[in-house]
Formats: sequence, structure tokens, C-alpha cells
Amino acid sequence: MATIVNIPHEKALEVKDFQFTYNGAAEPSLKEISMPIAKNSITALIGPSGCGKTTLLRSFNRMHDLYPGNRYEGLIEFKGRNILEPKEDLIQLRTCIGMIFQKPTAFPMSIYDNVAYGLRLQGIKNRSELNDRVEKALQDAAIWKEVSSRLKHDANGLSGGQQQRLCIARAIAVEPEVLLFDEPTSALDPISTQGIEKLVIELKEKVSIIIVTHNMQQAARVSDYTGFMYLGELVELGITEELFVTPKERLTEEYITGKFG
Amino acid sequence: MSNIIDKVFEHSTRIIAFSVLLIVAWIFTVLFQNSLDSMQAFGFDFITDTKWAPNLEKFGALPAIMGSVISTFLAMVLAVPVAIGVAIFLSEIAPEKLKSPIGVSIELLAAIPSVIYGMWGLFYFVPIIRDIFGGLGIGMLTAGIVLAIMILPFMAAVTRDAMDTTPDILKESAYALGGTKWDVIKDIIIPYAKAGIIGSMILALGRAIGETMAVTFVMGNVHKISLDITAPATSIPVTLANEFTEADTELYFSSLFELSFILLLISFTIISIAKFYFLRKTRRA
Amino acid sequence: MTAIEKRMLTNKIVMILSTLSAFIGIAFLLWILSILIINGVSAINWEIFAFEGAPPGYEESGLKHALIGQLIIISTATAIGVPLGILGGTYLSEYGQQSKLANIIRDISDIMMSAPSIVIGSFVYAVVVIPMGHFSGWAGVIALTIIMIPIILRTTDDMLQLVPSTLREAAFALGAPKYKVIINIVYRGAKVGILTGILLGIARVAGETAPLLFTSFNDNFLSTDLNEPMASLTVTMYNYATSPYEDWQSIGWAAAFILSMFILGLNIIGRLLIMTRKGK
Repeated sequence: MATIVNIPHEKALEVKDFQFTYNGAAEPSLKEISMPIAKNSITALIGPSGCGKTTLLRSFNRMHDLYPGNRYEGLIEFKGRNILEPKEDLIQLRTCIGMIFQKPTAFPMSIYDNVAYGLRLQGIKNRSELNDRVEKALQDAAIWKEVSSRLKHDANGLSGGQQQRLCIARAIAVEPEVLLFDEPTSALDPISTQGIEKLVIELKEKVSIIIVTHNMQQAARVSDYTGFMYLGELVELGITEELFVTPKERLTEEYITGKFG
Repeated sequence: MSNIIDKVFEHSTRIIAFSVLLIVAWIFTVLFQNSLDSMQAFGFDFITDTKWAPNLEKFGALPAIMGSVISTFLAMVLAVPVAIGVAIFLSEIAPEKLKSPIGVSIELLAAIPSVIYGMWGLFYFVPIIRDIFGGLGIGMLTAGIVLAIMILPFMAAVTRDAMDTTPDILKESAYALGGTKWDVIKDIIIPYAKAGIIGSMILALGRAIGETMAVTFVMGNVHKISLDITAPATSIPVTLANEFTEADTELYFSSLFELSFILLLISFTIISIAKFYFLRKTRRA
Repeated sequence: MTAIEKRMLTNKIVMILSTLSAFIGIAFLLWILSILIINGVSAINWEIFAFEGAPPGYEESGLKHALIGQLIIISTATAIGVPLGILGGTYLSEYGQQSKLANIIRDISDIMMSAPSIVIGSFVYAVVVIPMGHFSGWAGVIALTIIMIPIILRTTDDMLQLVPSTLREAAFALGAPKYKVIINIVYRGAKVGILTGILLGIARVAGETAPLLFTSFNDNFLSTDLNEPMASLTVTMYNYATSPYEDWQSIGWAAAFILSMFILGLNIIGRLLIMTRKGK
């Protein structure tokens, strides 16, 4: 049973007895996970390769549904309902819970069109409304100054760090309540990484954030709460400073001090 | 709303993709159905009789079938060594700067329509054969040579592709042991790319046997099997090209359809063999 | 001779033979190209484009009918074949993926790409020409479409598969329905590759003669009616070149030259497109 600290915050999501089995697998990859995700905070998921942190992250927006045969069991509560139910409207869900990927995924279109894409999907056609929301998103993603003069240029002309911030702008343009970050800086250089980390901290005022990272220092720098996972189970969830300084579980301590990778 | 569009889109693409299979099945069926008259009239003798006499309503396909086999065999005998030579040249001998232009030129040549090879054969090669061997200059030999030249670019290109799949480090290991270029080709590249090379040859064979225009100009369409390879002859595609518009009776048409059906079966079989036994790794057909 | 010397000698011999065969091959092909250019260029004059076909010996004889006929047949086949091929390829890459059905469709399409085109002509003869009672441009169009679809289908399938899956996931993550992901993102990402496939498909089909021989047949006069027999450059070339008349033969070479330039042009543009894409 995991050691979970009490979260004084309001909760954005609540995971209860969640189990996940990949298509054709004999064993579940995620076993009986229960954890709260605090609202307007940053929760980091850390753990060794293969512990299931990305699998858990991708369950929140039901990305696994893209590939047939995967099985969810248990509950993930969001806004008063269980989003694991088959009848859940995935398209709606994904406008409330957005995702940023490991490698920047700029669409093959202009910078403007990239950011406007989610808005257009929702049916927003009014030119001036689009303009306003695109500009706001790019500002919130701290990239407006760099691209305001070349909004019509192809997004692929941007550097890696800029593209990742573009993807963030694209995701926040639709004003989601939760943002999922899947190792967002693993493909970036240290300076771009710093910029993204700063941005993520700023964003938590508006959005609840879950970030998967294999970099413990990043988790320590950025997050309010940290969850340590091992072999498909949640071992411990705690306030970040407390978890890193005085972890309650021995496994957590061994991982943090580098006894295993 | 999007759900409906999603379903419609998905099903449309599925139906269209599936209809490729339907069309192929339909082709086999139609050809078979139209061959029935001829099959019932001649039975197995269709393949063994040598007499093709439309005005007597007697149709023996052996000259056409043998013509296809012999002309293709001839073409392969001539083209294979040259194609391998060109492939070796492109893959291992040519300096880096030349590899691309020559390689591209060969691929562009493969794109030239076969009817042009036929025209060249008729106007420029036939007189040469006539000078050397006498006679009309039109016949099995000429057809075999023109066919060889026509499939040469394709064969060379796919053989070179097969050879290029050999990983560099494998070749480098052989060179590092003091191997010559030929050693590397003989002991590393050819064994490694063997399946691809043989498969490419067989694929070219499958294409050659169905080739019409390159040979129609220079074969003569004479339904006779002759020991003299410079004599005019015929092949299945040549017969079809020349006689489809001349056929006037049901039985004549049915015999032509039976020829077409036989050709389809032969080439389908050859190409399938190439594809499934040899070209599992690559997918270029 | 030591073993090493023997190996080096064998090597030299093989290298010489290979280079020789390369030159032989290239020599023949240069020969063909040069007579094509020489005969073709000398036969091209304004009359080729101004006049329709005429009996041999007539002054006012040209290729207008054949050029226009070829254009009509090819563009109609393209208009039908390309959308069908793209949609079929979309199924393979985006829905069927590696399923048994999808792989069977891929294999059959590959085989069709090397199958004899005259057989397809005979099939269309049976299902279109006989019921219609006469040759027609439509029959030729259908024959060429059947040849074209597998080509476009396979290149589309390949090109779409090259689009990274994270791009699709990012679009799904924004709440896009699948058809929008495909149309907005995947098609756009594979745009250049698909276009190249189309150009090469057109080039391949434009050079076909055999499937037209007894479907669209031929016509010496200018006609734009697809319900009737229609002239094509390839069949005209065949008829004129095999005729005993010099003026017809000359026009045949002009046709050969025009056709080759068109096809080579498409191929070269296709290659340039691939190169610019790789350079990005």
C-alpha cells in the first residue's frame, strides 16, 4: 500500500484502485494505483525506466484508446465522473486535459495555424477571436515576442525549444484544466530546458499539471508534490521537499540516493 | 456529428482498399468465363497443339506459349549478366560522384515506355539482324534482344538496390581483413543480398513475360515453332495485340481470352514467387 | 602465382567485365535515346500540333487528335484513380495498419503493379467494350485507372506511414476526431511524398499502349467524346511506326519524342520533389 501524504489542496483528479493492462500482456502494467492530483499545483511522477509513470500519464487523457486491446480497471475521477467509462466522450475529455509530448510535435503548418488548431476544432471561426486567443496563448507560453512577426511562417523553422513552447501554446489555447507533460525537456538543451521549467511553474496558476520526468532534480525544482513509482505501483506520494529530504519509504530513499537507476 | 463523419470516412477507405482485391478477383473470373468456350472445345490440347488457324477455327496455343517462354528465356540470358555487371559497377566500382547521375539515368531509362524500345528495335536493330543472319530480321532472336535491353534498366536498378542493402560495417570488416572488391562482392554482398538479387531477377522475368509493345514490333506474329531462332514467331502478348481486333468468331475470341488467362496465371505465379520467397524484406515490386 | 596474386587478378578481371557491361548497357541505351532525339526533333514542326491524323501522303497530317485524346484519357484516369488510390492507401496506413487484410491488399497491389497490362486490356474489353458494343475512350480510361490505382495506393500507404506517430497523438490529444487528424495533419505531413507518387503514377500510365489497343482503340480524327473510340499518342505511334509509309513513320517518331519528354519530365520533377523534401 502506498504512503500518500494528505493533500490540503482541492483535487483536480482522483485515481482510485486504477489498474492498466496492455493489449496481450499477461500482467497489468499498473497495479492498484490510488492517488490524488492537487489542483493548480504541479505533481511530478518519478521512477526508474519501465515503472509505469508514462503509462499512468497517458491514461489521464485516454491516449491508450488509440491502440486497440488495452484494458482499464478502477476509477479516475474528474469533475465528478469516472473518465474511464466507455461512454466518456474522448474528444471532450481531451479539450479539458491536454498533453505535451517528449519530442516537439509542431504540425506541418504555420505557427498561427498550429496554435489555432485546437480552437478551430472547437468550431471557433471568428477571425478576431482567434487572433486574440492565439496571441494570449503565445504570450502565456512566453514565446510571443519571438514569433509575433512571423506568425505565418512554417512552424518547423523554429528551434527545438521554441517548438516545444509552441506546442505548449497550442495546448493552452483551448484553456484546459489539466496539462500532462511527458518528459517535455528530454530532447532539449539545458537553456531551453530552463525556459520550459520556468514556464511550467508559471502555468500552474491556471492549470493543474502532472509532469513525468526521469530527471529527479527537475522534479525537485519544479513540482509541489512528487509521486515515486516502481514496477507499476505507486510507492509514495508526498510534498516535494519532504519526499526528497525525508522520504517515508525505504524504496524511495534508495532511488533518490541513487542506489538503483 | 464527428462520429458519423469518422465512421463514413473509415468505411469509405476500407471499401475502396478492399475493392482492389475485388477487381483482381473479377479479372480472373471474367477471363476464365470467357475462356470456357475454348476450354470446352479444345481441352488440354489447347496448350499442346501447334496449329493456330483462325479460318479453320482451330486454335493451338503452343507456338504462342513457347514463343513467350523462349523469347523471355533469351532475354534473361542476355540481360542478367549485364544487369549484374551494371549493378556491381554502380554499387561498388563507380566513384561516389558518378554513382548518383548514372544511377538516376538508369532509373529514368527504365521509365521510357516500352513502345519506344519496340520502335527502335524495328527501325534500327532489325536491319542489323537482317544483315548478319539474312531473312526478314524479324523474329525470336530480335525480340529476345530487344526485350533484354528493355528490362535491363529495371533489372540493374533493383539488383543494385538489393546489393546496397548490405550494411557497410560488414563490407568494411572484409576489407579490413585484406579482401579485394571482388572478394567482398563474392563473399559478403552476394550471400547477404542473395534473396533480394534472385527475387529481383525473377520479378524482372515476370515483367518480361507479359511485355507486349517491345516485342510486337519485331516478332512477326507467326504461329510456328521453328528451330531457327531468327525466324518470325509469336508470343502470347504479341498474339493478343495483333489479333484481338481481328477476331470475328466466338471461338476465336474465347481462345484469345484463354491465352490472356494463361498469361495472367503465369505472370501472377512468377511475380508471387519472387515476392514471397525472395523479396520478403523489400517491398518494391 | 601466389594465392593473393590470384585473388587480385580475379578481382581485376571482374572489375573490367563489370565496367564493360556497364558501358555496353549504357551504350545501347544512349543509342536508343539518340535516335529518339534525332528522329523526333527532326519530325517536329508546327503541323504536328495543328492537324489531325490523315491518310498517308496527305500534306496536312499531324498529331493534334492523338495529343488531345491522350490528354483526355490520362487526365480522366488520373481524376478517378488518384482519389481512389489515396483513400485506399489511407485505409492501409491509418486503419488497417498491419492487419491481415491490409497486408493482403498490399501484396496483391504489389503484384498488380508488375502484371501484364495487355491482360487488363482484355479484361476491360470483356466488361466494357462488349456490353457497350464498341470501343470507347471510357474503356481506355478504365483500363488505365485499374493500372494506376495500385501504384498510388502503395505510395500513399508508404508516405503516410512515414509521418511520425507522435504527430498524430498530439492532434488526438487536442481532441481532434480521427478523420481530422488524417486530413489536417497526416496528409499535410506526407504532402510531397504523395504528390511524387501521383506524378510517377501518371508517368507510368502515360506510356501504356497495350491496354489501349482494344479498349479506346484509335481514331484518326479529333474527338473529345469519351463514348467513342479515342486516339491516343501511344496507339498512334504503334500504328504509324509499323506502317510502310515514311511520312507516317516520321510522325510516329515525333509522337515518340513528345511522349518521352513528357514522361521523363514527370520523373525528373518527381525526383526533384523528393530531393527538396530530404533536404529539409
